[in-house]
Amino acid sequence: MRCLVEINELHKTYHTGDVAFEALKGVSLDVSAGDFVAIMGPSGSGKSTLLQLVGGLDRPTAGSVRVDGHTLHTMDETGLARFRRTHIGFVFQFFHLVDNLTVQANVELPALLARRKDRRAIRARSTDLLTSLGIADQAPKYPWELSGGQQQRVAIARALINQPTLLLADEPTGNLDSASGQEVLAILSVFNQRGQTTLIVTHDAAAAAQARRVLFLHDGRIVGDVPGGDARRIAQQLAESEQEQSG
Amino acid sequence: MDAVWLKVKADVLSRPLISLLILVTIVAASALFTLALATLLNLSAPYDRAFEKLNGAHLWLHFERDRVQRRDVERIEALPGVAGSTGIQYSVVSRVQVNDTRLWISLQVVPSGEMGPVNRLLIQEGRYLLPRQAELLAGSDLNEIHDVAVGDAIHVTNADGRKEALPVVGLAYNPTWDTYRNTQPPYLYVTEETLRELFPDESAWDWSVGLRLDDPQAVDGMLGRIESALSSDAIAEQTDWRDVRESAIFGAQLNLVFLGAFSLFAILATVLVITTSISARVLSQFRQIGILKAVGFTRGHILALYLGQYALLALIGSPVGLLVGVLLSPLPLKSVAASLSTTYRPPLNPLVLLLVVGAVSLVVLLATLGSAHRGAQANIVRAIATGAEAPCRKTFLGVELAARWGLPVPFILGLNDVSARPLRSALTGLNLTLGVMGIVFGLTLNETLRTYEREPSLLGIVYDAVVTRQETSDRHTRHRLENAPGVVAFYSEYLADAKTETGQSFQVRAVEGNLAAFPFHVTTGRFLRPHTHEAIAGQGLLDWLGVAVGDEITLTLDEHGRRPTMWTIVGAYPEPINAGQMMMVNWSTVERAVRPAEPRTYFLQLAPQEDPARLKQYLEPRPDADLNLVLVGQTLPDAVVYLQLAIFALAGILVGVAMINVFNTSLLAVQEKLRTVGVLKTLGMTPGQVVAMVNTTAGFLGLTAVLAGIPLGWLLTREMLLSLSRVYGLGQVKVTLNGLYALLLIPLMVLVSMVGSVIPGRQAARASIVKVLHSE
Repeated sequence: MRCLVEINELHKTYHTGDVAFEALKGVSLDVSAGDFVAIMGPSGSGKSTLLQLVGGLDRPTAGSVRVDGHTLHTMDETGLARFRRTHIGFVFQFFHLVDNLTVQANVELPALLARRKDRRAIRARSTDLLTSLGIADQAPKYPWELSGGQQQRVAIARALINQPTLLLADEPTGNLDSASGQEVLAILSVFNQRGQTTLIVTHDAAAAAQARRVLFLHDGRIVGDVPGGDARRIAQQLAESEQEQSG
Repeated sequence: MDAVWLKVKADVLSRPLISLLILVTIVAASALFTLALATLLNLSAPYDRAFEKLNGAHLWLHFERDRVQRRDVERIEALPGVAGSTGIQYSVVSRVQVNDTRLWISLQVVPSGEMGPVNRLLIQEGRYLLPRQAELLAGSDLNEIHDVAVGDAIHVTNADGRKEALPVVGLAYNPTWDTYRNTQPPYLYVTEETLRELFPDESAWDWSVGLRLDDPQAVDGMLGRIESALSSDAIAEQTDWRDVRESAIFGAQLNLVFLGAFSLFAILATVLVITTSISARVLSQFRQIGILKAVGFTRGHILALYLGQYALLALIGSPVGLLVGVLLSPLPLKSVAASLSTTYRPPLNPLVLLLVVGAVSLVVLLATLGSAHRGAQANIVRAIATGAEAPCRKTFLGVELAARWGLPVPFILGLNDVSARPLRSALTGLNLTLGVMGIVFGLTLNETLRTYEREPSLLGIVYDAVVTRQETSDRHTRHRLENAPGVVAFYSEYLADAKTETGQSFQVRAVEGNLAAFPFHVTTGRFLRPHTHEAIAGQGLLDWLGVAVGDEITLTLDEHGRRPTMWTIVGAYPEPINAGQMMMVNWSTVERAVRPAEPRTYFLQLAPQEDPARLKQYLEPRPDADLNLVLVGQTLPDAVVYLQLAIFALAGILVGVAMINVFNTSLLAVQEKLRTVGVLKTLGMTPGQVVAMVNTTAGFLGLTAVLAGIPLGWLLTREMLLSLSRVYGLGQVKVTLNGLYALLLIPLMVLVSMVGSVIPGRQAARASIVKVLHSE
């Protein structure tokens, strides 16, 4: 498999006043194209920070990130924006839909930002995505008129509209009830099976079990890298790795 | 309430930039409000104010020198009902040269060093006369008509016929200078010493006296008593302060209407800028309101929290703004006062203080109450989840069209933001519209005045030059004018005093000559036919006498006891002087009644290419030549020019305030939707696109404002000018707006409003996505 994401000795330090907090302490990682990777770990372990650096939302303090051949830390703001627009799809815990745009407009927004000329093709693609996610009838509505699960589906459709190289999901089920959460995971799984490389951050072992590969992050370091599939085993390994670290 | 107070303090102190922004807005709005009130205050009763301040004389008597003795004047001053007197005022009418123009002026004596108690002069520029100095104070009308300025030298022809150059040390306004029915030349004020040096023979001095009365309305009765106390015909002329007042008010109407309108604009702008800024700020804290409600704040607590915050800022900001306004007010208002010939009234009085602090605080509280109430009503879960008030569902046609035309996304999103918060957009747009209307006001007035400058006949000025004579006979003067180089046509005028059967006095222009060559502008009816008893009248006269075109009028001219004559009024014309209370008739119908008097003034039409210097040389070959030529250089009074400047300055202030509003609205809107900006950046929106999006919102508001403001401003100006023209009797006024300027205003205003949103746009573009999304 082609290596899509190459992370090398990644460091990230946040400063709050005089206090420095090192969120990532030399993370190195490769992700192959078509893979489905879950990143687990306790709060403050650096999961979201890692996702943000991979997605080009933030810059590392040291180390490098290459996605599909693009070295992110050398890009300027505009370059990063264009990179995100064409290579990355984001799904957030709190959906982050634009509240004064309709569902359809939210989904089409990244395609329009990418200046895709063929409006009809964009409309067809957004309608296909909404249909495949079971929310085509919600297209003319506004985000606040939808349930949490529906909003997250809209967010997934929006993330996929530009057929990104990499789909990044930060706690995509964290704000949903368990049934809606399961549906969202199933959707991500289906798209991965169609070839969509996916990287998700989650607390939930059941969610991580949907992935093919699970990474454990603790205190800014990768402390485990296991295959996905069995939720109980993953939960046990997570507990073990945390215990090991604290011991 | 401890919790509320704790939060009030925290909100004010923990967000110093926002608190400062709101504070600056309140200060700016309060300063603007103070300026608006100060303008209104200075517009109120300008003549009465100056008259009282200067202790003006209610009755001015000009004596026939050989028919009155010093003791007669003392007797008059001692009459019951006379509260004060100027004492005998000496004057000499002399010829002076101002630049290239020779004029007849009255050299009037005033006390040196310090002014007397009655009818003091208002020094508008420069200083008062010093003792033992050969210097002049010029009447302010000399500045308006002949551009006399402080520092100029005026050459006065003395008793020996020699010219003596005296420096002008100040410009003065005389509260009882008779601008109404005036045959007096303008005044130059000198000390008695200077007059004596120029004209040593005291017997040649004219005498006059100004009286201040206990009852200002008792002028007629007092005049009767004075006349009966003196020998007959001792009083050559008299001036009634009420006539001067009427004329001054008439002349100031243009300024009053326009400046008054601007003050109201400014007050409205004050309300708008406060309302938009505060409601935007409160509603940008929707999530906080949700969280506070979640932890137990009641609706009352929420209201108290925001009212407390903004009341505190209003109480700090409004007095500071008041102070700023008071400090700034002399800059524009001293010239406004000067243009109204009145004293500057500083706005530091308890009423203004109370109004500014009270009204600004009230607007702040109402704006806070409205938006906090909306916030307090919000659903807690939605407020926390979305962090903003639900936007308006309905997107306007522009967004749909922009999307359909495939315009760039930042542009569409920027337009969408306009419709998302329609009320806020409307308030900001309205504020910008006021600024545009102000500019259009100024531009239209400017263009209209240019039209009047190009066609002075619209103002009743149908001639290019005026010639006056003293010793030369009428016949000889006509002969010279017939042969004068460059004179295309001329007509003569004799100014007769007329009295109606009911005792109303006014002046009649008795004219003769090549009248058809002059572009007399008749607003109603038609021009008078030669050698008929037809007359045309100023609108002021028609209104005053209650007569109309078509009516007949019977008048007695010049002297009591003469046979009354009847004229038919066949038309109305724009009469530029004496509040329009004048009439024009054929000289042939007057000649017999006023004989042996003859015309003394001649109005000339000059050939366009002719050099006036040749004509001047022809008519005034020597410095002491009898004929005097004055070219009509400036047809518009300086007061109107000042007014234009004041209007442009005020329009500039309005646009400035509108820009503050755009800045506030954009900044607060950006803060409110920072999360959305973060999301858009996540989706690939570049910093440049973020700036473009924010600029589009502001630019669209600017575009809407300018498209609405141009026609509204034009209509408003037109209506105001039309109503003024009705008062002045100018007929159908030609209100024009330069199309090119109007077109240029469109991109200019779009640019101005975009400039107001540049900083907020850049702030949004620079915001860290991670921080923005993390803070959610």
